[in-house]
Amino acid sequence: MHAERGFRRLCGFAVRDGTDRLTTITHRLRGARMRTFSNRTTRPRFRAGGLLALVAVLFAGSLITACPDSARAQNAATASGQAYAGKITYWFWGESDIPGIDKWMSSMVSAYEKLHPKVTINLVPQASDTLIGAFRLAAQSRSGPDIDTQWATLPTLTPYWDKAAVAISDYVPASETSQWLETSENAEGGKIVAMPIYLIGVPLVWNKQLFKEAGLDPNTPPKTWDAFLADCAVLKAHGITPFGMGNKDGYFGAWMFAIYLTQELNSLDEIKGAIGNTGSFSMTQFDGLLRNLYTMMQTLVQKGYLNSDVASLDLNQGWQLFPQKKAAMAFTTDGNVLSWGKALGEENIGVAEPPKWGHGKLADSYDVTQSSDEFITSWAPNKAAAAAFLVWLHDPANMKALYAETGAFPADERFPVASITDPLAQQLYQLDTAKTSIWLENYLPPQVDNDADLPAGQLITSKSGSPDQAVEIWNRVIQKWRVQQIPEYRQYRKWAGGNG
Amino acid sequence: MRLSLLRLRRHKDFVGPERRLQRRRTIGRRLWPYLFVTPAALAIAAGFLYPLAKVVWFSFYSGSLGALTYVGTANYTGLWQDPVFFQSVLNNLKLLTTVPIMTILALLIALILNAQIRGWRQYRAIVFFPYILPATAIGLVFGYLLERNGVLNTQLRHWQLGWMAKDWLGSAADVVPAIGGVIIWQQLGFGVVVFAAALLAVPQELVEAAKLDGANGWQIQRAILIPYIRRTIEFFVVVEAITVLSSIFTYVYVLTKGGPAEASSVMEYYIFENGFENGAIGVASAAVVVLLVLACVLIGFYLRLRASGADTGR
Amino acid sequence: MKRVSVSLVQQALLILLSLVSLYPLWFAVQTALKTPQAYALDPSGLPRAPTLDNFLSLFDVMPFARWTLNSIVVSFVSVAAATLIAVLAAYAIVFGRFLGQRVFFNLNIALMALPPVALLVPLFTLMVQVGLINTLPSVTLVYAVLLIPFSVFFLVNFFRELPLELIEAATIDGASHMRILFRIVMPLSVATTATLVIVNAIWVWNELLFALVFLQNNSQRTLMAGLTLFQGRYSTNEPLVMAGAFLSILPLVILYLASQSFFVRGMTAGIGK
Repeated sequence: MHAERGFRRLCGFAVRDGTDRLTTITHRLRGARMRTFSNRTTRPRFRAGGLLALVAVLFAGSLITACPDSARAQNAATASGQAYAGKITYWFWGESDIPGIDKWMSSMVSAYEKLHPKVTINLVPQASDTLIGAFRLAAQSRSGPDIDTQWATLPTLTPYWDKAAVAISDYVPASETSQWLETSENAEGGKIVAMPIYLIGVPLVWNKQLFKEAGLDPNTPPKTWDAFLADCAVLKAHGITPFGMGNKDGYFGAWMFAIYLTQELNSLDEIKGAIGNTGSFSMTQFDGLLRNLYTMMQTLVQKGYLNSDVASLDLNQGWQLFPQKKAAMAFTTDGNVLSWGKALGEENIGVAEPPKWGHGKLADSYDVTQSSDEFITSWAPNKAAAAAFLVWLHDPANMKALYAETGAFPADERFPVASITDPLAQQLYQLDTAKTSIWLENYLPPQVDNDADLPAGQLITSKSGSPDQAVEIWNRVIQKWRVQQIPEYRQYRKWAGGNG
Repeated sequence: MRLSLLRLRRHKDFVGPERRLQRRRTIGRRLWPYLFVTPAALAIAAGFLYPLAKVVWFSFYSGSLGALTYVGTANYTGLWQDPVFFQSVLNNLKLLTTVPIMTILALLIALILNAQIRGWRQYRAIVFFPYILPATAIGLVFGYLLERNGVLNTQLRHWQLGWMAKDWLGSAADVVPAIGGVIIWQQLGFGVVVFAAALLAVPQELVEAAKLDGANGWQIQRAILIPYIRRTIEFFVVVEAITVLSSIFTYVYVLTKGGPAEASSVMEYYIFENGFENGAIGVASAAVVVLLVLACVLIGFYLRLRASGADTGR
Repeated sequence: MKRVSVSLVQQALLILLSLVSLYPLWFAVQTALKTPQAYALDPSGLPRAPTLDNFLSLFDVMPFARWTLNSIVVSFVSVAAATLIAVLAAYAIVFGRFLGQRVFFNLNIALMALPPVALLVPLFTLMVQVGLINTLPSVTLVYAVLLIPFSVFFLVNFFRELPLELIEAATIDGASHMRILFRIVMPLSVATTATLVIVNAIWVWNELLFALVFLQNNSQRTLMAGLTLFQGRYSTNEPLVMAGAFLSILPLVILYLASQSFFVRGMTAGIGK
């Protein structure tokens, strides 16, 4: 047994299961090659033709990458879901994106446990405001869940850099991962770190009845910022709260950052360059953009276009205003739009892109992300079993069930678009897929997100500081992060420098 | 600090030194006391002394567990440059103002109760009740009550007191007073019970004599009752000051998570956030050391009170 | 005449104070009995159609029963361990003689005032190293240790008031100290020890900081740590959160109502007269 493990460590790949071995090898190899010769992170497509050539450098490659992640490959060949015995702890998050997903997940778990009687899955729903902190805490002790959920990109990549997560593509064949959508959000060194479940966009949603009450055209959403401000003024004049959100937990501010700072950028390299200090985009330039954003938010607050209790409600609580007809507009997720559509009647609400405010090239993107990303932790004793369960979730029948339960769009090529029949859902799907998808918050290191992005927005909505002070928070926190999290900062720089 | 009332026990009834000497002779020097005291000594060494040494050590290191590098005093200079840390210390100091407020309130209530008006035992029991409740659950309840359009403000507006309705947990200016209010709400009963018990112990003859001399109620209270329980008051003040300085994490965590924009962060929360959410145990440890230095002043007061009030030595 | 009005004012003040003291608990109860819709319509009113659904669904959506059990076990074990260790040490301090006696007792007094947060980081790393992190024994051990200084102090003060003759007589009879402690001293200290146990158990039951940091595994959470997770997760379902808060308070309410006079008497007994 020991000898066998030692062998695997040395070689870095499994010699176990004939059928999937090739996949394993290719994955290992791709990892090795990418790391050695290239730091591009765009995911190359699996090409069987190149296989033999790749096999040739395999041995050298695995020697170069050496041992740390090699042992992980041992289980790679098993995504098809053989009978495993054991318990899988799964920290799951998604309900506040798309109501109903907890129910779907529980039913998936029981179905899976029935299929595999020796596997028990311990499902632990997580809260938004402690999602990142709880996992970082667990990662320090190198114990915790076998599968964890984080938001895409940095929240997922940082545990991977920290070796708290393993790349899921080491355990799942490319034939499967190639079916997943938006995996580029979590690509690193040629590997895919996490599995998406659904795609989620954040549209502007408006209440047609309240628009009508205020004498606005119920079928014309504000497209430009001026139009938005004008609509807000009219609604407010009619005693209707124009925009209902919650920022006690800082997430409304984070959303404004994600939606609107993107619109100021010409490319994602700008934010990466500023935070990673790679020289391509200066912090001063970035500051200017932030200042614009917070000045805009301050205007909304000062003019009273937001609900008066925006600072004392969490994002989720603030959202309750819209279905209660206490606010005429909001930003929310696809999932919530659909559930509000049920509450208010679909004919009474409309969805559109957030009104355009910024002038960068990315102003024409749309704020969509795979949001909930599932990855396997480095301390999980049975990674293959965890992978097998995750892959099983992507079974077309299960993805269909997800859509049926939540109305959210499964992040899977195999999901037939034709099965989206609800008109509101069709609109949302169109929004989600028509343009480049970016959720800018995902490009922040979690510490910067938590200590700068959230507080800076809170500063504005709680009327306790100026846009300049908000920008100052960012500068201070980024500086502190660079000093305190040296390994993470280095990885970020590398990532920022190499990614197109 | 936990139900610290019991610590206020006074020691004047203890056996005098001569008798204790005698007792010593009788029982003599043996091995058994060492055996009896070993478990406690080991527990204290492992659970207090080792961690305290370790936390000082950590404060000179950076990085996460398992990958620590010596950085000298960088963590301390980092604290010095971090306005959030200053804000946290400042908030602890601001919250210290709750101590005189709750002391005066508790004293007034205890004096009323001391008149033994009808139902005073029941009132005392009711007022004491919040003190035993978990701050977590209290925080959840107040979190809803104190929303901008929550029950408290709605009620204030209803009573035409809208000017008093603040965004208690959502505005940087009001959040610390709001947390202070919750702390007072919970800790007040402790003071009431402590003071009421101390007042009960005032010899009735003193009060009667003063009455015969023609003193009125207020004079009696000021000249006799309060001076008589002065030491109890001092104890209460010090114990509560230590509590407010170092045991209010739960309120902050449950009510605001330090927000908005860190306006309600306190030292404990700063330590938690940096040490665990950000994984910077060096920074957190340096903050602990600063907290300990500040707490030392209070602990010093506390020990002096103990030493003068209680014969602790043998 | 003046007397009557003064006492009326006093009564009014005390009634007001009692209402303020009890309202938050009442708010939790009445909210827990409402549906979310009813709460949204009228947050402060009485529940028109009381429902127990929230209490039932607590156990569905989160492992509340497990958390409660965990809290009970942790409280019980840590308090029992701390009490036993403290009883031995206090007995030795009062009736024995050993090197460093004074220092040891004073150390206990000083540690009583030590902020627990100071121990958080090193104890966390220690628990990681010994592999106890995310298990109930980790917090149980920590709580037991944290309780010791206060327990020693408390018991020493009580033991010092015991009639010395009893102990002396027993020593002359040749009884061992273990025997004296458990046959003579402890039976005399039942009420005191019970007070100590209650005070300590409440502290453990209410503790959040260590539980939050040490227990990241859902089935291993204490009730307080579970509640905070619950709050974040269900913040828009106020009645459900209030049901959870109320359930966490309920054991304390029962304990307090059942032994209220004992409680206050036990507490105030420590102040001396």
